[in-house]
Amino acid sequence: MSSQIQGRYFGTGKPLFGLYFKTAILTILTLGIYRFWAKTRIRKYIWSATSGDGDSFEYSGTGLEKFLGFLVAIVILAIYLGLFQLLLAFIGISIIPEDDSQAAIAAQAVAINLSILAVLPLMLFAQYRARRYKMARTRWRGIRFGMEKGAWGYAFRALGYIFLTIITLGLLNPLATFRLEKYMADRSWYGDARFEQMGRWQDLYAGMKHVFIGLGIIIAGVVFAIVTEGVGIAGVAAVIGYIWLLIGLIYYRVYAFNYLTRNKVLDERVMFDAHLETGAVIKIFVVGTIVIGLLMAVIFGIIAGIVASMSSAIMAGTASPALFVGLAIPYALAFLIAGGLSLVMITQPMIKYAVESMTVLNAVHLDTIHQRAADTGADAEGFADALDVGGAI
Amino acid sequence: MQSVGRFFDGESGQRLSVDLSVDTAADTLKLSHPELPMGSQYWPLVAIRALSDHARQDQLVLSLKADAALDSALIVTARLTVDDPDMVSILRRLCPDIGRVDVPKGTTGRIAKRAGLAVGALVLMIFVILPAMANTLARFIPVEREVAYGKAVVKQMERFMGGRGDQGLTCTGSKGRAALDAMIARLTDAADLQYDLNVNVFDHKMVNAFAAPGGQIVLMRGLIERAKTPDEVAGVLAHEIGHVEARDTTRNALRAAGSAGLLSLILGDFAGGSAVVVVAEYTLTASYTREAEAEADVFALEMLNAAGADATAFATFFDSLSELERLTPDLPEYLSTHPELVDRAAAARAFARDQGVTTPILDDAEWAALKKICT
Repeated sequence: MSSQIQGRYFGTGKPLFGLYFKTAILTILTLGIYRFWAKTRIRKYIWSATSGDGDSFEYSGTGLEKFLGFLVAIVILAIYLGLFQLLLAFIGISIIPEDDSQAAIAAQAVAINLSILAVLPLMLFAQYRARRYKMARTRWRGIRFGMEKGAWGYAFRALGYIFLTIITLGLLNPLATFRLEKYMADRSWYGDARFEQMGRWQDLYAGMKHVFIGLGIIIAGVVFAIVTEGVGIAGVAAVIGYIWLLIGLIYYRVYAFNYLTRNKVLDERVMFDAHLETGAVIKIFVVGTIVIGLLMAVIFGIIAGIVASMSSAIMAGTASPALFVGLAIPYALAFLIAGGLSLVMITQPMIKYAVESMTVLNAVHLDTIHQRAADTGADAEGFADALDVGGAI
Repeated sequence: MQSVGRFFDGESGQRLSVDLSVDTAADTLKLSHPELPMGSQYWPLVAIRALSDHARQDQLVLSLKADAALDSALIVTARLTVDDPDMVSILRRLCPDIGRVDVPKGTTGRIAKRAGLAVGALVLMIFVILPAMANTLARFIPVEREVAYGKAVVKQMERFMGGRGDQGLTCTGSKGRAALDAMIARLTDAADLQYDLNVNVFDHKMVNAFAAPGGQIVLMRGLIERAKTPDEVAGVLAHEIGHVEARDTTRNALRAAGSAGLLSLILGDFAGGSAVVVVAEYTLTASYTREAEAEADVFALEMLNAAGADATAFATFFDSLSELERLTPDLPEYLSTHPELVDRAAAARAFARDQGVTTPILDDAEWAALKKICT
C-alpha cells in the first residue's frame, strides 16, 4: 500500500455528453420527473470516473429515493411558500404608493428582499442537507462517507456570517468561508474516521489580495475622476478594476480551496495536499465558454434566420403549425446541447483538474479504517431539488 | 478461467487481491484469498450485479443482489473490481442479470402515497387555502391603496399590450368619451357603489374587457366593434362593475401571488419547462372562480334592470361570443375565462322575460360616437 495517493480522473467527454443528452430527452418526455434519475446517473458516472490508488469512487444514491424525498419537500414548501407569498402580496398592495417615486421603488425593493429572506434559510438548510446526502451516498473501497445532522445549525450560522460579510462590505468574507467550511468538515466522516478542519481564518486574507487590488483600482479611479473631473481615466480604471476584481474572486476561491484542503486531517493522521492554480481554472472556463458561445451563436443564428425569412407568413397567420413545431424542436435541442457541452467542456474538466491536483498523504492509515453505520433519514436532498440548490452536479 | 480481482468486504478499508474463477457447473464465481473467512467466497452468477453508468468501460465493479431497501444507505454489500478484459467479457456473458436494477417491494405503493400527498397538498393550497385567505385579507386592504394598486395594474397591462409613451392605448375621442360617461351614469345612477369607477377604452382589436382593483375597468375597442347594440356593451360593463364591487380582482391578485412559483417547484427547470409553467400558471390564476362569475352576472342583470335597460342584450352578446368561439377556437381570453356561454345567455333571457318597459341605453348618435372613440 502506497503512502501517497494521487487523485486520478478517467472520465471523457463523449460518453458523458451522450449520457447527459439521453437523460435530458427522457426528462423532457416525462415532464421533468426523470430529472432525479438523470442527476443520479450523471453523478454515478462522475464518481466512478474518480479514483485513488486504482480504486474508483462509487455513488450509491438512487433516482427513486431522490424522487420520494422531493415529494416530501413539495408538501412542506407548497404550504410555506404559498402562505408567505400571499401575505407578502397583501403587505405589498397595502403599502404600494401610486406614482413611480423613489418611495415606491424602495417599497418594492423591500418586498422583493423579504421574499428572498423567506427562502434563504431554507436554501442554506438545503445546501447542508444536499452535501450530507452526497456524502452518505459516496463510497471508496466499500467504505461510506458520512456527515452528522446539523442543517439548521448550518443555516443559522450561515445567515449570521452572510450578515456579517455584508455589513463589513466583504471584509469578513474569509471568516465566513473558514467557519462554515469548518462547521461542515468537522461533522464529516470517512467510515469510522472523523475529518477535522485545521488552520486559521486570518490566513485566508492572503487570498483576498487581488480582490483588494481590484477594489483599490476602482476607488482610485473614482477619486481621480472627482478631483480632476476627467471621466475618461475613471472609465478605464473601472474596466480594469472590474476585471481585476472578477479574477481576484476566482483567485480567492482557488486559494481558499487549496488552503482548506491542505489543512484538513482525517483521523488525526491522514493529510491532504492540493495545488490548484488560478490560471488553469480560468483557462478551462474561458476556453469552454468561448467554444460553447460560438456554437450556440451559429445554431441560434440559423434558427433566427429561418424565423426572419418566414416572418411575413407568421405575421399573416398563414404559417402552418408544423413550422412552429419544426422550430421548437431545434430550439429545445440547442438548449440541451449547450447544457451537455457545459457539462463536458467546463464542469468535467474542472473536476478532472481538481481531482488530479490533489494528493492524500500518509495513506497507509486508511487500511485501518472501518465501516460506519449507515446514515438513515437523510432526506435525499428533496429541498435542494425543489429549490434548485446545489450547483452543476 | 482464472483471474485476479480487488475485493472490499464492505466492513474494513482493506483491499484484498482475490483469485477469481468461474465454476460453470455450479453457476458461481469463486473468490479465494487466505484472509477471507474459510479462505473463499462463492457468488451465485444470477445474483451478481454490476454498478450502472460506470465511467470505465474496461472495468466492472460488482456487488451481490442485496436485500433491497428504499433507503439506499442501508444496502450493505461487498464490492469486487474486475479489470482483466477476458474475465470482464466472461462475466458479462455468464451473469444473466448483471445489468438489472432491483426495485424493492412496495415501491409503487410508496410512490403513489407520497405523490398523492404532494398533489393533495398543492391542490388544497391552490384551490382551498389560498382563495380562502385571499378572501379574508382582501377585506383589510384600504380602498385608496386598492385604487393605487389597480391603476398600477392597468398601466402594466397597457404596456404589456403594446402601449408606449405618454399617449398609451387609451382612446380619447371626446364625443365617444361623453357617450361612455352617459352609459356609466345611466347604469350607476340607481346603484350605490363603494368605488369611484374609472372606465377607459383601449385601442386594441381583442374582444375583451377586464377589471382591476379599486374601480378600474378597461374595455377593448374590439369588444365595442363586435357589439351590435350599446346595451350589449352596457351588459359587459355591468358585469365588470360586478367584479369590482365584489373585490374579485383584489382577491385574485392575492391568490395569484400566493400560488406563483408553486408549479415551477414541481416541474423544475428543464428545456421548454418554463414555457409549460407559464401557460399552466396563467390558466390557474387568470380566471375568476365560477361562483364569482355567476355573481357578477346576477349583479349585471340587476344593474341593467335598475337602469331600465333590456337584459336581452346581455344574452345576445353571449350568443355572438359563442359564435366567435366556434369560428376561432383558439381565441380569446375573455371566452376561456367565461365558460358556459349558452347557459348564461339562457339565464339572461329568463331574467329579461320578467322585465317591464325598457329603453336603449344610448341613442343612435351616442352609440355611433362610442364606436368611434378610438379614431
